[in-house]
Amino acid sequence: MATSSLRLALQQSRKSRAFLIGGLISGCILFVALLALVWTPHSVFQMAIGDRMQGPSWSHWLGTDQFGRDLLSMLMVGASNSIGVAVVAVGVGLAFGVPLGALAAAKRGWIDEVVMRFNDFAFAFPALLSAVMITAIFGPGGVNSIIAIGIFNIPVFARVTRGGALSLWQREYVLAARVAGKGGVRITIEHILPNIASLLIVQGTIQFALGILAEAGLSYLGLGTQPPLPSWGKMLAEAQTMLFLAPQLAILPGLAIVMAVLGLNLLGDGLRDLLDPRLRRAR
Amino acid sequence: MALLEIENLRVEIDTPLGPAAILDGIDIGLERGRSVGLVGESGCGKSMTALATMGLLPEQARASGAIRLDGQNLLDLSEEALCELRGRRISMIFQEPMTALNPVQSIGQQVAEGLRRHLKLGKSESERQAAVWMDRVGLPEARFPLSLYPHQLSGGQRQRVLIAAAMACGPELLIADEPTTALDVTIQAQVLDLIAELVESEGLALLLITHDLGVVAEMADAVAVMYSGRIVEAGPASDVFAELAHPYARGLFAAMPQAPGKESAAATRLATIPGRVPDPAERPPGCAFAPRCGHRSQACAQEPQRTAISDRHWVRCFHPQRGGLAP
Amino acid sequence: MSVFLAKRGLALLVTLLVASIIVFLVMEVLPGDPALIILGTGAQDDTLAALRQQLGLDQPLFTRYLDWVGGLFTGQWGDSYTYGKPVMTLIGERVLVSLPLASMAIVLSTVIALPMGVAAAARHGRASDTAIMGFVQLGVAVPNFWFAMLLILLFAVNLGWVPAGGFAGWEEGAGPALASLLLPAIALALPQAAILARVTRSSVLEVMKEDYVRTARAKGLTRSQALWRHGVRNALIPVVTIMGLQFSFLLAGTIIIENVFYLPGLGRLMFQAIAQRDLVVVKDLVILLAAAVILVNFLVDLSYALLDPRLRLGGDGH
Repeated sequence: MATSSLRLALQQSRKSRAFLIGGLISGCILFVALLALVWTPHSVFQMAIGDRMQGPSWSHWLGTDQFGRDLLSMLMVGASNSIGVAVVAVGVGLAFGVPLGALAAAKRGWIDEVVMRFNDFAFAFPALLSAVMITAIFGPGGVNSIIAIGIFNIPVFARVTRGGALSLWQREYVLAARVAGKGGVRITIEHILPNIASLLIVQGTIQFALGILAEAGLSYLGLGTQPPLPSWGKMLAEAQTMLFLAPQLAILPGLAIVMAVLGLNLLGDGLRDLLDPRLRRAR
Repeated sequence: MALLEIENLRVEIDTPLGPAAILDGIDIGLERGRSVGLVGESGCGKSMTALATMGLLPEQARASGAIRLDGQNLLDLSEEALCELRGRRISMIFQEPMTALNPVQSIGQQVAEGLRRHLKLGKSESERQAAVWMDRVGLPEARFPLSLYPHQLSGGQRQRVLIAAAMACGPELLIADEPTTALDVTIQAQVLDLIAELVESEGLALLLITHDLGVVAEMADAVAVMYSGRIVEAGPASDVFAELAHPYARGLFAAMPQAPGKESAAATRLATIPGRVPDPAERPPGCAFAPRCGHRSQACAQEPQRTAISDRHWVRCFHPQRGGLAP
Repeated sequence: MSVFLAKRGLALLVTLLVASIIVFLVMEVLPGDPALIILGTGAQDDTLAALRQQLGLDQPLFTRYLDWVGGLFTGQWGDSYTYGKPVMTLIGERVLVSLPLASMAIVLSTVIALPMGVAAAARHGRASDTAIMGFVQLGVAVPNFWFAMLLILLFAVNLGWVPAGGFAGWEEGAGPALASLLLPAIALALPQAAILARVTRSSVLEVMKEDYVRTARAKGLTRSQALWRHGVRNALIPVVTIMGLQFSFLLAGTIIIENVFYLPGLGRLMFQAIAQRDLVVVKDLVILLAAAVILVNFLVDLSYALLDPRLRLGGDGH
């Protein structure tokens, strides 16, 4: 059921501008991020004070920052960093959130109540605030920011999973499976999860985009990826002191963030349009 | 002159498979104070006919032909002019009373709304009139204060509120689109009785849309049977029911679990019409019912024209069935 | 109605209680030794011991918790290690910056977003709708601290209309004080406005499809009359929910924005306290902000009762 809907979606993908544009932009960013893992025009650790704050040139396509580092390379590595953190954070959210939500929907009763309260509660704490708290206690750094952001993906995926699963448990084919004696775990794996896959994919892209923003915020505050590893947020923090002298240092990393988030949001919107069962049925 | 004359009404919308004619030449005539039952299955276009008359078609729909109210073609009117007519000269009630009322407004406000908009009555005067109508529909103020909210009423009661709201400005024509389909059987009879009583006492013209032949037989002066966007049989109720000529109409009648005149219906299996109603975009040329019809022939590849069965009873069929249905 | 209030009130208290327990556990228990964290690993043993005694760490866990919570109610919030002042004083000073800032941001975002959302829904499918949605997509993708920098570049550096940072202080008069809060409020408001506009639009679109809107049109109301008299109030319900959720994002945003603009508010205090490892301040601030969020959510719940009579009166629902 899920694979045929994916095939149908691919066929119809031409119809969604959001999907195409978002997919294109996200694809580019992803490509750059992967590329940066193996190659960048210059090393990002190489500071050359003599070359600092140059404009675009043949050796430095986007110029250099106040320490002489090549901006293009910094942005590329920043892309890997942002995407890496956001992806793992989404992974954490999925790994813990989906089973929680599926469990709550399958068992109902007090387990459901507990999960719901936990969710309400997690949503009540401002996410960035708690991420800041966690990094404060356990120290800043990439891994801790992944954990902090990931923790806040858990209630989101739990809620989406629970919501989707609840409506599916009422469907006839699930009732038939139960009558046939299949256990909750098997039903969940065979029937529920494949059908909420599209919901999770769409939510995943949204959380991915939010993760990039959160990571940038944490890095800006100095609580995320630590120097000398470049991150977009840190680049912005450093650029702030140079705002009068070299505004381009502030503009470029910000644009990178906007492109990445925009691309992912459009992709998510496009996927939602394509995978929405209501739209599929209304052919 | 008839109050309402629908002439060759066509409504088209665009589908992924190309433009589809949801309504393909509808003709209906309705005299003042009379009622017409428009019968057909889901998807045949009956609701579209009603919406077209009200000018409430979806944006993508294009209507052509004529819908004349006292001679004036409603399709030519501007949206503003239509807003003047709706609720004032033509009113409509819909199928789902549970969702047709605004949950955050009191029922009194919703009944009075038309009065304030059309008759420009002030707050207290419109409320007074609203209370009068609420009483008329069987919801006296003592038990049903105007300050109640919709969620405090049952489905049948909500439908009565909607009827009161529709009648408040004294319309000449009431369109009722499956008004009882969503209600329990016992309540259905009550609401239909209410509508019948209003038709008689107010001299209302009624266009009753339903899939239930039994309801039409009881309430309507004239019948029009619709199939796939066309009217396939029409005439005075007594004539039509005496001699259902179109094979589809016969099939509908036979498929009723308990039709008037059928004996020991419980002992026989439900009759069915094989096949499905065609998608408007995929309607075959000629008679749309032919693929499912037991009497089809080569001739049916042509579009059937009207054939007179009696003075005002006509049918669109090359093989009209004569003689009444066997008891 | 009173049942509704009682239930919600109880939930409020319980959530606050659980929040305080979690904050306490995270801030005092999890790190192991708060004194070590505050002073750092290079500290001398006797300094650590002195601090531990000062912080009351030798007491049993439960006593410490009760002391802390009790202190919260009596106004004894402890002393900041780095500033040497009582936390209450610090908070009192800073709140005079953060509260006006947050209020301005909320007002700005609501005033921009709601009309935009309704307008976009009313002109659904047309050019202005697409334009508004384009703005929304951008607004959501832009990090607010970067937007803040752009605002500074444009309005402070190039045009010189407002200061680039710092807070003029209320003693100088309301004018300069508010002027220094204007850019930060705009930076805070933008992403919120974008999300709110989108939610408003989709909520209004949903409501336009409802049967009761069709009933209103069948009574002779024009499209916009039906929209305003029947649609908007129903559409507001999910919008108010989002506004409540946004409050917490707003608070988080102040942490960053106050840093960008060097405003001496609660957000900047939080950040500095964390940088200085001043756990006393951090703990109190976190519970304060969490309590604010929980309170706002409670108020949002109350507003549902105002907007939706089904909650006020019960009945057989729908």
